[in-house]
Amino acid sequence: MAVDRALVRRRGILIELGATALVVFALTISLVGFHIKDVSGGLSLELRYIDVMSAVIIAIIGRGWLILVRHGHYWWVSVTATLTATILIGSLIFGGAIVQKYLPFKAGLLQWLLAIVSAGFAVGSAIRGVRKRNTTPLTAEGLASFAEDTSFMDWVSAQVQRSSVWIGAIIFLFAAVFPFLPGVNLRYLDIGVLVLTYVMLGWGLNIVVGLAGLLDLGYVAFYAVGAYSFALLASPDSPLLQELGWTQGISFWVCMPFAGLMAALAGVALGFPVLRLRGDYLAIVTLGFGEMIRVTLLNFYSLTKGPDGISKIPPPSLLGYSTEARMDENTLENTTEFHTALDIPFDQSHTTILLYFVILIMALATNFFTVRVRKLPVGRAWEALREDEIACRSLGINPTNTKLTAFGIGAMFGGFAGSFFATRQTFVSPESFTFIESAVILAIVVLGGFGSQIGVVVASFLLIGLPEMFRELQEYRMLFFGGSMVLVMLWRPAGLLAHREPTIRLYDGKCAGKAEAAAR
Amino acid sequence: MYHVAYFFDQLINGITLGATYGLIAIGYTMVYGIIGMINFAHGEIFMIGSFISLVVFLILGLAGGIFLPLAIFLVLVATMVFTAAYGWTLERVAYRQLRGSPRLAALITAIGMSIFLQNYVQLLQGARNKPLPPQITGSIKVIETTNQAGQAYVVSLSYLQMMIIVLTVVLMIVFTYLITRTALGRAQRACEQDRGMAALLGIDVDRTISLTFVIGASLAAVAGLIFMLRYGATDFFVGFLTGIKAFTAAVLGGIGSLPGAMLGGLLIGLIEVLFAGYFNLEYKDVATFSILVLVLIFRPTGLLGKPDIEKV
Amino acid sequence: MTDQVIPYRTDNAPLLTVEHLTMRFGGLVAIDDLSFQASDEEITAIIGPNGAGKTTVFNCLTGFYKPSVGRLTLEREGRPPACLERMEGFRIARDAQVARTFQNIRLFPKMTLLENVVVAQHNKLMKASGYTVRGLFGLGYGKEEKKAVDMACYWLEQINLVDRADDYSDSLPYGDQRRLEIARAMCTEPVLLCLDEPAAGLNPRESSELNDLLTFLKDEHRIGILLIEHDMSVVMKISDHIIVLDYGKKISDGDPDFVRNDPSVIRAYLGEEDRPAVVGDDGGRHD
Repeated sequence: MAVDRALVRRRGILIELGATALVVFALTISLVGFHIKDVSGGLSLELRYIDVMSAVIIAIIGRGWLILVRHGHYWWVSVTATLTATILIGSLIFGGAIVQKYLPFKAGLLQWLLAIVSAGFAVGSAIRGVRKRNTTPLTAEGLASFAEDTSFMDWVSAQVQRSSVWIGAIIFLFAAVFPFLPGVNLRYLDIGVLVLTYVMLGWGLNIVVGLAGLLDLGYVAFYAVGAYSFALLASPDSPLLQELGWTQGISFWVCMPFAGLMAALAGVALGFPVLRLRGDYLAIVTLGFGEMIRVTLLNFYSLTKGPDGISKIPPPSLLGYSTEARMDENTLENTTEFHTALDIPFDQSHTTILLYFVILIMALATNFFTVRVRKLPVGRAWEALREDEIACRSLGINPTNTKLTAFGIGAMFGGFAGSFFATRQTFVSPESFTFIESAVILAIVVLGGFGSQIGVVVASFLLIGLPEMFRELQEYRMLFFGGSMVLVMLWRPAGLLAHREPTIRLYDGKCAGKAEAAAR
Repeated sequence: MYHVAYFFDQLINGITLGATYGLIAIGYTMVYGIIGMINFAHGEIFMIGSFISLVVFLILGLAGGIFLPLAIFLVLVATMVFTAAYGWTLERVAYRQLRGSPRLAALITAIGMSIFLQNYVQLLQGARNKPLPPQITGSIKVIETTNQAGQAYVVSLSYLQMMIIVLTVVLMIVFTYLITRTALGRAQRACEQDRGMAALLGIDVDRTISLTFVIGASLAAVAGLIFMLRYGATDFFVGFLTGIKAFTAAVLGGIGSLPGAMLGGLLIGLIEVLFAGYFNLEYKDVATFSILVLVLIFRPTGLLGKPDIEKV
Repeated sequence: MTDQVIPYRTDNAPLLTVEHLTMRFGGLVAIDDLSFQASDEEITAIIGPNGAGKTTVFNCLTGFYKPSVGRLTLEREGRPPACLERMEGFRIARDAQVARTFQNIRLFPKMTLLENVVVAQHNKLMKASGYTVRGLFGLGYGKEEKKAVDMACYWLEQINLVDRADDYSDSLPYGDQRRLEIARAMCTEPVLLCLDEPAAGLNPRESSELNDLLTFLKDEHRIGILLIEHDMSVVMKISDHIIVLDYGKKISDGDPDFVRNDPSVIRAYLGEEDRPAVVGDDGGRHD
């Protein structure tokens, strides 16, 4: 009987490998295997059979490792995976070396990815070999069983959350001196501004999604409302000001609060009819709103100049001093230049440094608000609503108004960020406000962890900063966004660094531990 | 007479467009019915279907000189099979683990999958629009009249439009038979009612859900093929808007209801075409989104859906 | 069946008056022309076989359903009566001061015990924080929050859970969760507390603790309690007044002794056959 069982098992393994190969083949043959090429006078096909073959082989090896791990052959996997990773990384580092010639693919990024996966296999199975544990984190089921064992990530998240004061202070200090660090040129400064914009957007959306639990897929709509409200008032190019006969735009410091207010009003107006909807329906409706606003911006030509957009939006001034070079004598008549006032030589980076500090302060204000509001009744009510709306109603909390404040305040911060976006770009057009933009902000919040302030900073850096710094990653950015959203949801559905600290404590941290121990 | 002719023209256009939406909407509604999630990536499955049909057309074009109905049939079958593989994998890799987790987690996963698939296709096939010359040509004249300016205005029913209508009707009949008369359909409906109980009674729930995705993806593949033939071009982004409109169709018909999805698809197609034809072309998408919002606010059960009583 | 009901008499002031309450779902009549009165400082129990419409009565009372027909009036001393059937759910809790618990416990699982009971004081605290505006800058809010925490602690002490105030509420055992839900409801300072099967799933010791708690609420905090319960040891022991429902209709109304011996109640519970057994007979044994 024992022989038979081994035979059956072997046959089962073969079937499993075969099925994997077949599925991967079916998936890749159609879209990977044939490349539709534009040629003069139509399309033609290019066969990429090597890619299909490599995909199938990689799938079989991967599945084989999984099967081996499942049957407890950890060391086999560990050794072969280490070997594979070494070969892959070696061939990457010693570019033109011998190994590279025999590998079926040339794409560097894919090779890195495979090397990382192999290394993951090697380390993972080695750990399991030591601990004699029968789980593999690299399949969907494995991921879930791994998720049950999240004590490590939970611990990390909790530590990060508890030491957030320190980490926050360090990040803040770094951010504050960043523009003056040696080696920081205009390009890095620009990336810093961009990352901070997304940090602010992430924090703003975190109020809606993380605290109040309302999935807003149309957040970009409020970003757009803010940007356009700002542009319409600040730019001498704006159809609104031209209609009024004004030749000069209004100051940044007046327009920005107004833009935030307009976005908040838009949030309340759009939110009011739909906030009673159930979570996933609400998400789809907000997505619809986002698209509706974009289509309107595109077609309401008399106000928004449609696809042409509004240009000539001036950057903010500092205490009445402009940091821009004097270009147009007409519009900058009454302004004094910053560099003449301070008697320093003009530098192009002054504007960017000013923008950097403006967005830093705006982002910090968002953060201050969120941290503070969590400890106020309205913040607690948001979190309670996220947990159980029906219970909230039975406690006399008005669900519609409470959600509406979250939606409106989130929209307001989106509007502030939008006005900053307008002044930074000096130009707004509808194509900056597509659903993809909403998805990017959502990905930042999801990856960082719902409600985790530091998580948003980390995720913005990873998702926005890195691809900006390494241009070759740019192409794969959205692929990575989508993939990471799925993986995070499968592994840690509350987000990578999600950890909820109580908003109020009866005992201070240490005593609480004792009380817990006493209670048990 | 001109007005009647114009209306008739729009009507045919609306029906053929509605057929596409209806076929995709079935996928949304079936998945929602059985696991209660909005499969946001379903629009991408449709997009993949359109690409695969293009690839198969091009392969057959290279092979050359195949009898057209046979060629169409081959494309249809191949597209359905290979797209279904994507539908199956989608469920297996991304969604199976999330059964029973909060709706929002499932929705975010689906959005992630949607972004992933969009960029996967973009990276593999490039961002440029891929045109295909018309494959099915010819038409029959239905009405001949003159417009206000006195020019001749001909309303014709093209063979393509006829094929789309016939194909959709046949598929709907097969599909309805599948769901109402076969063991698979019974298992599917049982899982919809109570998955736990169905499993206790010996129904393979995993397999049934997988099959639901396979069926939904094959129907979306047909929609992709129809889209390819109708517009003669596709790109990696077509799934997004079409997906949302098909979802709107599913909601309008009553999400979870199969006849509702077909009816909703037809209505959304007609509304879109008639709105563009009579009111405003630019805002036709706004019209569809408004319908989505209005239906969800005022009649979340749609036209044919079952009422959903709030349990306390 | 309904015509022979003798109204229950009491010296306490009427708190809640239900008149001709009817609730239909499509063709199904869940509650059919139900009228009763619940008095202040009394425990009024609503009992009946499964599907008799008890929870539906609660849902109508607390605004989760809009009744098809009927009037629900809440009378409080020195205040105009509140017409519950016209009020939204959260207003019933906020303005009419009717609090409730749920059959399948609805706590905020990822919040601590203390947060659960502080959230219940939302409306009071909202005012204290100047509708968030003042609170953001920390002006004069701390004192009010301290009062709210004191009240929270008082109720956590009453249910013996003050030691675990900083633990997440989903870490509590079932029985403690039930009691926490009651404490949370009490933090809204209600005049009428509606409890939906508070003893379900409790062991005998826990359910006797529950009896003590409910009696304490009635005697010390002088509120009216409306109670849905299947556990006759709880119902018969602590109720002052019992209403029996069957198929959405009231079949009996009186004090425990009256209801226990009412033949129509016996029929509803045990079928048409007249048998010497009486309802709540296990309650009797516990006495």
